[in-house]
Amino acid sequence: MSVYEYRHTASPQEAANWTPRQQLMTDLRAVGGRAYPRVTGLFREKSWIAFEILLPFLATSAFVFVYRALQAPPEYIGFVVLGGAMTAFWLNVIWMMASQLWWEKSQGNLELYFAAPMSIMSVLFGMAFGGMVMSSTRALVILVIATFVFGVQFAVEQWVLLFAVFVLTLAALYGLGMMLASLFLMWGREAFHLTQLFTEPVYFVSGLNFPVARLGLLGALALATIPLAVGLDAMRQLAFVDASFPIGTPPPAVEALILVAMTVVFLIAARWMLRTLERMARQEGRLSVRWQ
Amino acid sequence: MTDEPAASSLASGLASPAWGGFDRRRARGRDLRDHWQAFRTSASLGWQMEANWTDPALFFIYSVAKPLSAALILVVMLDIIGGGAAPAYRAFVVIGTALWAIVLAGISGMAWTVLDDRERYRMLKYIYVSPSDFLVVLLGRGVARLGVGAMGGLITIAVGIVWLGVPFDPARIDWPLLALVSVIGLATIVAIGVLLAAICLQTRQESWSYPDAMAGALFLVSGVVFPLAVLPTPLQVFGMLTPLTWWIEGVRHAVFPTGPSSVGGPGSFWTTISGSAAPDSVTIIVALLGTGALVTLAATAVFRVSERRAKERGLLDRTTGS
Repeated sequence: MSVYEYRHTASPQEAANWTPRQQLMTDLRAVGGRAYPRVTGLFREKSWIAFEILLPFLATSAFVFVYRALQAPPEYIGFVVLGGAMTAFWLNVIWMMASQLWWEKSQGNLELYFAAPMSIMSVLFGMAFGGMVMSSTRALVILVIATFVFGVQFAVEQWVLLFAVFVLTLAALYGLGMMLASLFLMWGREAFHLTQLFTEPVYFVSGLNFPVARLGLLGALALATIPLAVGLDAMRQLAFVDASFPIGTPPPAVEALILVAMTVVFLIAARWMLRTLERMARQEGRLSVRWQ
Repeated sequence: MTDEPAASSLASGLASPAWGGFDRRRARGRDLRDHWQAFRTSASLGWQMEANWTDPALFFIYSVAKPLSAALILVVMLDIIGGGAAPAYRAFVVIGTALWAIVLAGISGMAWTVLDDRERYRMLKYIYVSPSDFLVVLLGRGVARLGVGAMGGLITIAVGIVWLGVPFDPARIDWPLLALVSVIGLATIVAIGVLLAAICLQTRQESWSYPDAMAGALFLVSGVVFPLAVLPTPLQVFGMLTPLTWWIEGVRHAVFPTGPSSVGGPGSFWTTISGSAAPDSVTIIVALLGTGALVTLAATAVFRVSERRAKERGLLDRTTGS
């Protein structure tokens, strides 16, 4: 029997008292419902192919040509290509996870989310799942095209660990996005400017186009706080095993553990922040106040 | 009549002209004076929206962090490979990155105005039906963001001179050339911004990243951080058709007359066809004017077509989500 079918109850209180199965199914449907527009959007409007694959590929190419102009070793071109592919995820996390609740507030949807009988975490999970599908497509296309065009030679010995690090990087990245969603919502108009602050400066400290070890203490700080920095460094170590570049960062297995810790911390923080925010929003009645 | 009530004079202002007919100028507006007023108001509004959300110190940090980080990425790349052995190339990179911050701000300014007013504030339809010319309003808002970008670019150059070892000698700068290419270049950036605004009129909410994407693509072919000579010949040709290439080359030529050229140099298409190592000042100005005029005409035409299509399809009051 479907959990959504009518069941006779003695009182409204009993009707509102959902079973764990009802709650779970509703939350799963919320995840699917929130992911749906992002996944379906891939096939609806094709402009993203030009603007989110072709043009970012050209931007990545620019850094490849910088290294070529400097006659850098070939593995550095691979670093740039890998970094270029991972920017698809970072931009998605910043623009479509961290800023999203603030967007929803501006559009008047946020109050509906809070009023709906579901966990708001399921909305965030839905956004994250849909965003991962969107960004994976883009990252994969950029990676394949750039690898082919620039003749990048990968040297992988530990495929399983590489795949695990990639998945953990995504988990930590989207966990961070879920946490930032609440913070950005609280910061209001500053959120839009934060998205700007979280692009190039984060690319720099994460070593998007160069080994992060080169940055010394700043790089170590990035490894401890930014999933993009840890994930990229681990993937570079695993995908270019013969490359000679500045050492000083932990081995990939340790960085994988850092990513696990980040994922747990970010998800717990996201849940706590959402609950705090929901309580504050209900107390102060600011959920429907747009554009603040 | 000294005691005539104020209401009467107000009414006479709205009344028919003395000769009794219909004054068409009232419907058409006062042409340039109206446009100037709309532009000024819009630029002022744009500046308020850009700057009034925080205190000046934080605003300054936000404005400078992006271009400065972009420059630092390249400086570290240079240091890793070259070990800081080429100060001329470092100056080349810092100037290019700083100028690109202005390009990015200029390109995104108008596109984000369309998205802001349509998706966030939902005011686009009201702005559109107001007596002001829509394009003039967009230009005003875009100029405000261009100003913020210019500030970031200038500070990046200052940081480059003070901390990153960029050589700077005011006595060697060709100031007239710098002024001329700056004016033409900024006008061209605004034209590209109009072009992207026209595209964003047709697209959905996720178009926020489109200016970055467009700028990223132009970054490849404009000789911003590496000479065009390293590109395949077709891309070099495409780069030479881009006004931004000539703007950046012009600024570099004016500020560092003996520095490396982004257009010419050994193995470049320019040197192959012209026989000269690098274009001279006159060539740069003519090329910038020619390519800039073409882009401006194209942007205006595309904007008008996009505007008409948006009106026909009801896109001006569309909001989207994902």
